[in-house]
Parts: sequence; structure tokens; C-alpha cells
Amino acid sequence: MQSTKENTRIGFYVCHCGHNIAAMVDCADVAKYVKGLPNVVLSRDYKYMCSDPGQELIQKDIREYNLNRVVVASCSPLLHEHTFRSATAAGGLNPYYFHMVNIREHDSWVHTDRGEATAKAKALAHAAIDRVAFHKALETKTVKINPDALVVGGGIAGIHAAMTLANAGKKVYLVEREPSIGGHMAKFDKTFPTLDCAACILTPKMSEVGAHPNITLWSYSEVAQVDGYVGNYKVRVKRKPRYISEERCIGCMDCISQCVFKEPKFEDEFNEGLGKRKPVYIPFPQATPQIVVIDPNVCLNFKRAKGPDGTPIVSDKCKKTCVEACGDKNAIDFTQKEEIKEIEVGTIIVATGFKTFDSKRIPGYGYGIYKNVYTALEIERLVNASGPTGGEVILREGKNPDGSPKHPKSIGIIHCVGSRDKKTNIWCSRVCCMYSMKLAHLLKEHTDAEVYNFYIDIRAPGKGYEEFYNKLLDEGVHFIRGRVGEVTDWAMTPEEEGKLVIRVEDTLAGYVRRIPVDMVVLSSGLEPQADAQDVRRLFNMSCGTEGFFLERHPKLAPVNTFTDGIFIAGACQGPRDIPDTVAQAGAAAAEALVLIDKGYVEQEPNTAFILDEECSGCKSCVPLCPYSAILYDETRKKAHINEALCKGCGTCVGACPSGSIVQNLFEDEQIFSEIQGVLAYD
Amino acid sequence: MEMTRTIKYEADRVKGFGEEVMSVPGCEELKDCIQCGTCSGVCPLSIYMDFTPRQVMEMTRFDFKNEVLGSKTIWLCASCYACTVECPRQIKITDIMYELKQRAIKEKVYPRGLPTPVLAQEFTKMVHDYGRVNEILLATKMYMKTNPFAAMGMAPLGLGMIKTGRFSMIQEKIRGRADLARMLETVDEGK
Repeated sequence: MQSTKENTRIGFYVCHCGHNIAAMVDCADVAKYVKGLPNVVLSRDYKYMCSDPGQELIQKDIREYNLNRVVVASCSPLLHEHTFRSATAAGGLNPYYFHMVNIREHDSWVHTDRGEATAKAKALAHAAIDRVAFHKALETKTVKINPDALVVGGGIAGIHAAMTLANAGKKVYLVEREPSIGGHMAKFDKTFPTLDCAACILTPKMSEVGAHPNITLWSYSEVAQVDGYVGNYKVRVKRKPRYISEERCIGCMDCISQCVFKEPKFEDEFNEGLGKRKPVYIPFPQATPQIVVIDPNVCLNFKRAKGPDGTPIVSDKCKKTCVEACGDKNAIDFTQKEEIKEIEVGTIIVATGFKTFDSKRIPGYGYGIYKNVYTALEIERLVNASGPTGGEVILREGKNPDGSPKHPKSIGIIHCVGSRDKKTNIWCSRVCCMYSMKLAHLLKEHTDAEVYNFYIDIRAPGKGYEEFYNKLLDEGVHFIRGRVGEVTDWAMTPEEEGKLVIRVEDTLAGYVRRIPVDMVVLSSGLEPQADAQDVRRLFNMSCGTEGFFLERHPKLAPVNTFTDGIFIAGACQGPRDIPDTVAQAGAAAAEALVLIDKGYVEQEPNTAFILDEECSGCKSCVPLCPYSAILYDETRKKAHINEALCKGCGTCVGACPSGSIVQNLFEDEQIFSEIQGVLAYD
Repeated sequence: MEMTRTIKYEADRVKGFGEEVMSVPGCEELKDCIQCGTCSGVCPLSIYMDFTPRQVMEMTRFDFKNEVLGSKTIWLCASCYACTVECPRQIKITDIMYELKQRAIKEKVYPRGLPTPVLAQEFTKMVHDYGRVNEILLATKMYMKTNPFAAMGMAPLGLGMIKTGRFSMIQEKIRGRADLARMLETVDEGK
């Protein structure tokens, strides 16, 4: 295999990378060795090949020495393959006549013996020299990008990403699972550390989304299927029946007041079950879209009336006063069925958010056992002026002697519930310290109670966060460093009678203490959504061990996923607060805009193709392709690879029994000559 | 009033003690301790301890051997395992307490006047020698060695047990005592 093509003229460069390579590899010796190999016209060692002079050297040599192949031995192709391919192209050659050898990550960084490391560098260089002779000129293909975008999830991340894209003039589909957009943020009372009202800053954005001409808002809907590839995704969206015509409902809510249920009687999801709603309802006053929903599980009309396929059917069990109230608008449609919408988009932003840790999983804290133990989200609704109590902090259990509702005089806030615990979630949920302090401030403001925070460590690393902590200390909120052992109603002293007792070690004082309180607030941590795994599969993304969606690179590609054209934003990637979420949503929108405004994507030409005359049509390759890029052509009885979908993984190449699939840049003679080259050095 | 220095100098540490304890199988997780205090918070006996369980963990990790082995805490541990169950770092705190107790006995540094170290030693001795434990004899031995007068207070209980036939002074023995002794020896060597 030594005798390659007659007129192959190879230029070889070995990079010192400062001391990174030169300290462990004798670069001059490698250059000398390569000089003696067949077809090598020149061989140099140089301090930094990636520098401008290094790249110019390649270009100059190509012209002066009439080179037609270039090999650089330096770092990982991930870092600089593109750099050197560009330099090769600038020198007048097809960029795929270049080949790169990794003698840093694969050699100098992982070895301790200079002699052996140098020998390995020579062997790797020899392999590249033998291989590059078989390289062919390849063309980069381009694929057009559909300018429309899909945003999944209507929390603050999805809202911000959709608004950014829409304001840039792009058409956006915003899909939200719940009847209204707003997500968790809509439930919050105030936001830390500035204490601006969450609704005041969020709801204007929500109505902007609802009214934006470039945004198609589909609430009460879920993405059912995603096909295609970057720039050309085909998405099927399931629109759940809300039994109200979105076109005809004007949001007057007459149907709600006229419902046969005079009083709200069913658990209100938006208020965390603290309030009640009717079967026909709007989640909260500023809900977007302002369209009511009918809950078929409790609506009398649907009650116990199920069709043969299990779906609710119209019955005569109810007087249908809502229909009467709606009158000419005729917006109520009990026969509405689930609908599937098909759309085509070029980019997708996934912003599906988080769920809070189920505090019942830690029975020692008494949630669900003692009525006066609350979750933080319940407190958000309790202190909210539009919440179930109008912002009055009333205990669930216990009344004053005169029968009036009781207000707490002492409150314990337990941090890290479910977080930083190997038994539940090992990660720090990042926002709990700050929201606990915010709730401590609000509860103190509302009730003037003694407020205790039980924390392991206070994590306040954001802008203005440490100042907020300081403000709370000034306000007289108590901080006790210790993870609470248990919450009990078992009194040991008279002062503990009728109270909830928090047993904790004050680790700074070194005392075990029992602190009686009227109200316990559990700062539950953040977790991936229950169906995060299904969503991950739907969009072909990856998850970390904890179940949050995985970014392509934790530092340098934080909103990209491993699937091109699909981006992530917000707490679906990991716990984060509102400022970080908004920043990330903006970044995701910007990354999507990069693709949209460029209009096309270049595709690495390392795709596979089928040699028609040799394909027997056995279909072995079809089910193996992880990107569904191979189709079987029934008329010709041959397999066919869609180049736009092929990612160059090589699975089909290895699997083809007749060897009729070839992959660019990984052709048999290239691979075999590379193997021979690496074995040639002794 | 006499002032005593409470500062700890590096010379007060017995360097390597913490590492040694943490290298015992089952005690490795101590490295992960975040000093949250859950162990003390759930410990029913922490109210009587001179150091809280959390403090014992930290002192062990930082080689304060004399203070740890001399503390009452390790002898108050009733092995209820509440700390081990609740620890967010899944540190086997009860097992570490046992490890510390064994070391305290071996080095004879346990606090005098506490019945538990004596009980522990008599218990193991009885198992070693006979392969069976007789609670009556064990309690009697413990009282004799610690506070014989306290045994007098238990007389009514003893009489009641004699009446109901639950007071046996016969030491039961297993058959393969030599085999058991060899097994236990091997265990001890393995330490």
C-alpha cells in the first residue's frame, strides 16, 4: 500500500502547541521521520500551527511546493479541524485533502514517557500520511432552513424565546400544555431580590404573546410527534378539547357565573388546591388566552356519560345554563374532539420547565399529615392578593377562640426539602435559598410573625442576592444553620402545646433545639418534569443522570442540544431562577435566529451512499439507522440514503452484508491504509 | 476564675486517625459529610450527649482522636439507626459509632462510670466463650462491675422474674465453641 498515487505531494506539519505537545513529544524528530516517508514533499515543526502565521505557512507552502495534500499533527479535530481545512482551502486546495492527527489529547497529555510518546506520534503521523493519499475532493452540501420556529412550553422561558423570535419577524408556534401560558412564574407573588410583583412583570408579556401577529398560540396542547431534521422539522401537535370554541369565546365568563354549580367546589390547580373552582373556569384572571375551559371530569353534562370509546359525551344530566348564558356567541361546544395539527418548522426551542419535589416523600416533615405544613408554592398563592384568601395568611387548621381564622405568630421555613440528599435529589435546587428568604420577608410583612429559616448553607450568588440576605437579617428574620430532623405535634413542654415542633441541631451553637411554630413551610426543590423522558425521546435529546435535558457543552454551547436545530431554555435544563431563565431563553432564540437568518446549513460531507449495482435490497440497514435516513425504494428494490438526514455515524456501512454502502472520508482504502500506516512504525 | 485554653493546635490532632476510621468498610461515606446536623436533629439521645453526633463526625474527620474516643456520645448511641436512615449523604453514622466504640475499648480510653462500655465488653466476652447470651447473667455482671448497689434497686424486678420462671442463672453453651472462637479470631485479625 506504500505506492500511492503517482503525483501525490504531501505537506506535513507538527505543532508544538507551546509546551502542551513539545514537552512530551520530540516534534523535530517527528518532522524528520515523516520527511522520509513516501510522497512527503516537505515536513516542518512549528510552535503554534493554529496561529495566523501557522495557517499562512500552509497556504504559502501549497503554492510554492505545489502540494496537493496537507496533514497537521496537533490537537483534537474538534478544536481546529475547521481552522486547517479553511487554511487548506485558502491555499487553493479542496479542504477535504486535509487530514488531522491528534497528538495532544491522544498522546502528549496522556503519556509520561517522552521516548514512547514520540514513537506514538510518529506512528500516528505515518497513518495519516498513508491515508491522506486516498482522500478525494468533496463538496459541502447545504440544506435550506424553514424560517418558522416552534417553542414548546409557555412559561417565562418559552414566552421570552417566542417574543424574541416574533419580534425579529419570524413566525412562531407556541405550544403550552395548560389552558393558559405563564407557567410557574404566574403563580408567584413577588420575585427575589427586587420584590417586584411577578404578575406585574409577567402578564404584560403574556398578553403581548397572545396578541402578537407572528405568534400562533396553542394552549391546552401537546407536541405529539416530531420528524425531520434541522431546518425541516415536521411536527404534529395534539390540541386537547376544552369544549369551547377558541374563535367564538370572547372571555366574558358569563358561563362561569351561570354554571349550575352556584359555588366553586372543585380543587383549583392554579391555587395549588387551596382554592376552589367550577367545572367551567378560567385558571386565573390574567390567563392568556382569555378563553374558558370545561373540565369534563366534573362537569355535570359529562358526568358518568362516556361514549363507547371512553370519551365524554353530551348527556341530559345538566340544564346547560352555561350554554344559555353564552347565547348568540355559541362558543360552548360539548362535541369538541381532540384535534391534530401538522406544522413545518425549521427550529425548535424546548422550554418545558420543571416540577417541584413532592414533599410527601419526606414523611418526617409532616406534609399531608399536619395541615399547617405548607409547600412554598402554596405560600406563594396564600400571600398573593389574587390568591384564594386575597393575600391573608390564614392557617389551614385552628381557629381563634372567637371562631375567626387564625394567623400564624411563628413560622419555620425548612430549606433543601428533597435537595442535596442522596436519597432523593442530590443536586442543589439553586433557587430555594432565595425564594425561602423572599417568602420569609413576605410572611413577616403579612403577619409580623417570628420567622425562622432552617438552612444547610445559604446560597445567594446572584446580583443583589447577598444584599437581600443582609436585608432579611436586618429585618429580624432568624436563620438557624441545621437541617431539620423532624416536624412533630408531640409537645414536651407547655409552650409546645398545640404547635408544630421543629427539632433541629443549631449547628453553629452546637445545641439540639426544639422550636414550636404555628406554620411550617417546606422549600421543596426542583425536579425534571414527570414526562421529561418522553419529551427527550420526542425531540431526540439527551438527559443528564438527574433527568434534566443535556446541553451540548456545559460552558460553550449551553442552549444547544446534540440535535441540530433543537435548543433548550429554562429549568428543563436544570434548576435556575428567572433572570437566568430569561437570559437563556434569549440565547436560545438568538441561536435559532442564527440558523433562520443564514437560511441554510452546511452539512459535513462524511455521509454514506449506496452503490446501487451492489445493493441486494436486503433492508438490513433500514432499521439500524438512528436518524431514519435510509428508505427502501420498492420499485427499484434498493435502499436509498437521504443525505440531508445522514449524520455519518457509519452504522449502515458496518452492517451492510454486501459492502455496498460507502461513507465519504471513511472509505475502505482510506481506513486500511491508515491501519497499515499505524502498524508500519516499529 | 481559672481560664483554660480551648484552642486546638495541630499537635492536638492525632494525624491519620480520621483517614484510618474512614478506611474501615462502611465508614467511607464520612468523607461526604456536609455538617448539616440531621443526625443530631433526629437522634433521640442527642439531648444527653456532650458532643452532638454531627460534632463527633467532624472531630473524627479532623483527627481529634482523644476527644472523640473519650466522649460520652459514642456510648449513649442506642443504635436506633435514625441518623443513618435520615442522613442526606447516606453516611452510616451508627456503624461509625461502633467503630469508635471498639477503638475506645481497645485503647481503654472510654469514660469511667458509664455502664455501656462494660456491658459491651461483657456481651462480647460471653459470645466468645459460650456462643450464647444469658441476659440475667449479663446484667448481673454489669452491675457488679459498675454499681453493685444499683443492683439492689432491681431486686423487686428480679423476684418477679423468678416467680414467673424467667430468671435463669444457667449459662447455655453452643457445641462448636472452638470453631466459633476460631471464626471470631479470624474476624479480629482482619481488623
